[in-house]
Amino acid sequence: MTTDKKKTDAPRPPWKRLFARGPAKEAEKDEPKIRIKKETTDRYQPPKWGLWMIQGFVLVFFCTFVSRFWFLQMHLGADFARQAQENHWRQERISAPRGRIFDVKGRVLADNRTAYGLSLIRDDIKDMPATLAQVSEWTGVPLEQVQERFRQSKNKVKSFEPLLLVTDLDYSLVVRIESELYAWPGLEVVVLTKRSYPEQNLFAHILGYVAEANEAELAKDPELAMGDLVGKSGIEYTLDKRLRGRKGLYDIEVDASGHMLGQVLKEEPQHGEELRLAIDRDIQQACLNALGGEAGSVIVMEPDTGKLRALVTTPSYDNNLFAAGISQRDWDALRNNPRFPLQNRVIQSTYPPGSVWKLMMAACFLENHVSPHDYVSCAGGIRLGKNVIHCWKRSGHGGQDMLHSIVNSCDVYYYRMAERVGIDAIAPFAKACGFGRPTGIDLPHEKSGLMPSREWKSRRFKRGWGRGDTYNASIGQGYVLATPLQVAVYVCALLNGGDLLKPQLVDTEPRTVTGRVPAKRSTLEFIVNAMRRTANGGTAKAVGRRDADMGGKTGTAQVVRLRSRGRALSWKEKDHAWIATWGHKNDKTYVVVVMVEHGGGGGKVAGPVARKVYDYLFRNPEYTVSAKAQPEEPFIGPPLPPAMERARQREQEKLRHRHQLPR
Amino acid sequence: MEKKPLVTYINWGLVFFALALFLVGEMNLYSASGARLGTGSTLSNFYQKQAVWGLCGLASMLAVMSFDYRKLKAVAWPFYIVTLVLLLLVPLIGTTVYGAKRWISLGAMSIQPSELAKISVFLLGARLLAKDGEPLGWKGFAGAAAMGLVPVAFIVKQPDLGTAIMIVLILGCMILFHGIKGSIFKICVLAVPAVLYVMWNFGMHDYQRQRILTFLDPSADPLGSGYHILQSRIAIGSGQLWGKGFTEGTQSQLRFLPERHSDFAVAVFGEEWGFVGCTCLVTLFCFFLLSIFTTVAQAKDRFGSLLCAGVFFYFFWEIFINMGMVVGIMPVVGIPLPFISYGGSATIVNFIFIGIVLNVAMRRSLTNFDYD
Repeated sequence: MTTDKKKTDAPRPPWKRLFARGPAKEAEKDEPKIRIKKETTDRYQPPKWGLWMIQGFVLVFFCTFVSRFWFLQMHLGADFARQAQENHWRQERISAPRGRIFDVKGRVLADNRTAYGLSLIRDDIKDMPATLAQVSEWTGVPLEQVQERFRQSKNKVKSFEPLLLVTDLDYSLVVRIESELYAWPGLEVVVLTKRSYPEQNLFAHILGYVAEANEAELAKDPELAMGDLVGKSGIEYTLDKRLRGRKGLYDIEVDASGHMLGQVLKEEPQHGEELRLAIDRDIQQACLNALGGEAGSVIVMEPDTGKLRALVTTPSYDNNLFAAGISQRDWDALRNNPRFPLQNRVIQSTYPPGSVWKLMMAACFLENHVSPHDYVSCAGGIRLGKNVIHCWKRSGHGGQDMLHSIVNSCDVYYYRMAERVGIDAIAPFAKACGFGRPTGIDLPHEKSGLMPSREWKSRRFKRGWGRGDTYNASIGQGYVLATPLQVAVYVCALLNGGDLLKPQLVDTEPRTVTGRVPAKRSTLEFIVNAMRRTANGGTAKAVGRRDADMGGKTGTAQVVRLRSRGRALSWKEKDHAWIATWGHKNDKTYVVVVMVEHGGGGGKVAGPVARKVYDYLFRNPEYTVSAKAQPEEPFIGPPLPPAMERARQREQEKLRHRHQLPR
Repeated sequence: MEKKPLVTYINWGLVFFALALFLVGEMNLYSASGARLGTGSTLSNFYQKQAVWGLCGLASMLAVMSFDYRKLKAVAWPFYIVTLVLLLLVPLIGTTVYGAKRWISLGAMSIQPSELAKISVFLLGARLLAKDGEPLGWKGFAGAAAMGLVPVAFIVKQPDLGTAIMIVLILGCMILFHGIKGSIFKICVLAVPAVLYVMWNFGMHDYQRQRILTFLDPSADPLGSGYHILQSRIAIGSGQLWGKGFTEGTQSQLRFLPERHSDFAVAVFGEEWGFVGCTCLVTLFCFFLLSIFTTVAQAKDRFGSLLCAGVFFYFFWEIFINMGMVVGIMPVVGIPLPFISYGGSATIVNFIFIGIVLNVAMRRSLTNFDYD
């Protein structure tokens, strides 16, 4: 034993001596364990440094990995658990059917058309060229077109997801294809939803259209996904959220290559709201017919509820073009049309209101200490500096009180009285009557019109308000601009006691008051009575009739200054023709406002249009007696192809079974 | 002196821990073999094959235990020479797999000379170092180093960086274990950065360099070469304290984890058994290594002790590098985890190494020394 010790101790290198004391004792402690070696004199002793090294390795190993596992699993564990979860759960939205739109009698204005398409899943297809050729043979689409479509979508669609090859297949064709589909694995018939507008031009401006969401819309609304349809204009745009419904949600479990393992329905999709408009398709059609080929607008509104029964603007366009994706040629044609068919003239065009404005001015005078018996003598004009501002009747009207100024539409009366009242009283009154601000109708891009004031002019032109400005403003010329709908809302307010109502497109919407005409009841009654007189022998006699109580006021708004008149006027230079009317028969009252763009004289052009509208309304007892709303027909979807129908029935059977519902 | 049967002196601790690890590996492999698909789940037969390999390994282990380990001294040189010849033949008649020429086809089976080199360097290293107990001087060190670096040079060229690193580590640790003059040790320590620099610029292929760069920043390339590292870290980390439960790991069952039955098997384990399971596994490995250490300390002679130390370093570095790679503290090198990863020849080699340790342990009581 001792010799052995000497043997290992003697040649120890200097760096080893550092460890000499410790390990020596350790070795002695180990000694008794190896009892069997006791008697052998040359027992081998492993190098102490080496033994320490090995034990050190094990210690380092243990500490390294326990601390590393602690770091990964305990310290960062929750984060990694979330990442693992995200790895294998995907969420998929199920689109909800968009709500349909009906007219007041339940006739479909915007429908969800079921379209059948043929799609393929690349993973499941054995012979791609043959499959594409077969698709072409079935559908009659040229092979090159099918191949082109395949090439285009190949990079956008994952190999295990359906790639849409052909859309809009005929139902009978789908049935035939389905019966042969078993021989072509990877091909499948898919059901697509498309929006269609059966009334085309008649409702284009009211309904607007839907199209696939663009990037800006996708960025703005997190609920939207690529390829979703959103309203782009009209009521499809403004009530998009309600029509859209709420998407359902699937939690889908996938494996590493993205294949679906199973799905859990987290949220049921909710059908979009079905809207019933206040508009009556037949009245709308009658208004369109009454306008003939003119560019202009017709509004039919109920003064007590604010409901719009017709809202026509011409010329119009076919909104189905947009829903299907408009071609460049059609788009250019619409955009370059000199009569702007895309413009909704009811709310997006502003015109000088002309003499229709006098309905508002008269009320303003009455509320500003002008007696209806105050006379103004009209000599056909009024002097302003060196110039003479004329009345429309150069020969003059003679003495005019307020009633006659409306019936005869005498301009000089308004020049004088406006000067007396002053623009500072007129401007706020006009604003309170709803002019110069939007009516709040559920349609996009409504214009405010313009009611000028002293501040407005100094801000806009850096010039003071002149006497001539007041004269112009008093007869609805100059800076004054209004939309036809603002005029209609004001006339309704005259009839309903002063409530400015939001024009309601949706029938089920409640009556919404957006302001009040700041006038006494007697004032309103005076003006209504003046309109009645005007319709019965005055300038608006075109609408006067025996079978109903009628009132009206015409307007002829100048587009070109009087001075340059004399030569023949082109269409663009002709006056705008206005007429604002009301009619009452049995228990129904309607307000009809007609505006014919560059039509000429209000009484001559707009009057007969309004007359035709009343002819339609009052000759049909349906529109003069308040009727109960028609019951809505129950929704029966378009037929599904047989195999899908069977699958749907199986699915329903399963659901019934799961929830143990009675049949 | 009374004669006891050799079995009396067997290292039962090593037998126990090796079998325990093998069973843990077998269980983990069962889980790693499964995969859930949309239509149901599949179970490949890795765990069954591994059981068969395990039985073959146990038989080889018994065979290695049957003869006196000192006879290996005589085999060391011939075995080394044969290995060198085979390594020389690889570039000439070898077959290329995954862009690397590593295999020699011998009709029905093929052999990988680089794997043989591991064993032959380990054997010859033990034989050379066992000559005397003095710390290695310049001459001895140069001889041992040359003996190791010749096959390493061939292997790096194949290329098979993992095996080359393993050989360098095993031989280097054996030399350190034996003892080396202080001056040589210091020079070697200083030389390491220079060698690494030369290796990086001249000795490595682009994909190997890429792996090390990816290891340093796996998030730079999350779908390419960083995918393995990220997914294995997600798998292990998401196990948290108690794990997701046996065969419940989503990362492995849904095939997000690559190489989950071979190199990344321990990630499956970590995901399903959590921090508690991982700590137990690390502890089990420590006991396993310490039971090898017992025989290192008890061995009858220097050759036996060096053999066992070589086995220790072999297992130590395999475990350290593989687990280090899976938990993201080592670059991705194709080294399997002993007993846990699936692999036929690796299992047999592992059991042969354990057989050598048991052989040394059994014969520690023999007194007739013919050698030395």
